Amino acid sequence: MSATSRQADPVEDYIAALTATLHGPARIKARLIEEIRDGLADTVTAHTREGMAYQRAAHQAVEEFGTLDELVPSCQRELTIAQARHTARAVALTAPFLVACWYLAWTTDHDQPWQLPRTAQLLAVHLAGVACVAALLAAATLAATGTLARWLPIPHQLPLAVAWTGTTASVAMAVATLALATASVLATNWPLLAFAGALAAASHAVVAASARACRRCARLPAT
Amino acid sequence: MRADMVRGHLDGLLLAVLEPGPLHGYAIIAAVQHRSRGALELRTGTIYPALNRLERLGLLSSSWQSSGERRRRCYELTDAGRHTLAGERTAWSEFTTAIGSVLNPAAPPGFAT
Repeated sequence: MSATSRQADPVEDYIAALTATLHGPARIKARLIEEIRDGLADTVTAHTREGMAYQRAAHQAVEEFGTLDELVPSCQRELTIAQARHTARAVALTAPFLVACWYLAWTTDHDQPWQLPRTAQLLAVHLAGVACVAALLAAATLAATGTLARWLPIPHQLPLAVAWTGTTASVAMAVATLALATASVLATNWPLLAFAGALAAASHAVVAASARACRRCARLPAT
Repeated sequence: MRADMVRGHLDGLLLAVLEPGPLHGYAIIAAVQHRSRGALELRTGTIYPALNRLERLGLLSSSWQSSGERRRRCYELTDAGRHTLAGERTAWSEFTTAIGSVLNPAAPPGFAT
């Protein structure tokens, strides 16, 4: 099929418009789009078997599917929830690392003349606290958007709340990275702190990217 | 039957057509239309996000299955889905009885005050 004829295909136009409009985790979005493409292809096949020409069958299939205005809100709602779950999972899995990093920072060089200064220890306590609260909220989100959602409606603002929880956790991870990097320069046992800093940096990268995507999804209209 | 009248019952319809066994998206649409003898006007695209939602809730499970040269995502009821379907049937029966008693002018004997 040439590029020109592909552009003229109502099914491909519909799928392209849907792909451009929807935002969410790549794997889940791809799966949803693939299923919708399959459904359209099956509908077109059913119509062509009845003797309809391809172009007319494709137009008919798209019409039966519903307009983008009808379909996008419910698809985006699912993708936004999927993105919120993705972000919550990232926070729930990485926040304990942040606590572990600070535990390492606190205990390392314990017997050495140099120890973490008081300010750094206070910072550590606060960042670990932020990480714990974020992890608890993330776990609650996973429950609220999973099987609990059979009985309790999902609050409309939950994806936005998850997005900002993830953002806060990612900022805490960035601060932890800087602090651990500084501490590793001063500490005797620097490889351990450098490793903890790298772990915090990696956690920050994962959570920040997911939280950014979640903020974007949460702003989109959905039913 | 208008799409907005069907919308509130979409979950029950999808669970019911999946009760006999696993089906892929288009087969689910066809089953709903066949069972309703074409009376239900579904915007067929709307069933795909609904299937994803029911799977997230643990009422359906899905897997990719080969059908000729193509792979299709097939859905089937979980135990929780069967339980929910039973609840939907009970709720629907109570609803139709209640609405029927209001719409039907023949009041049950002894009901008049």
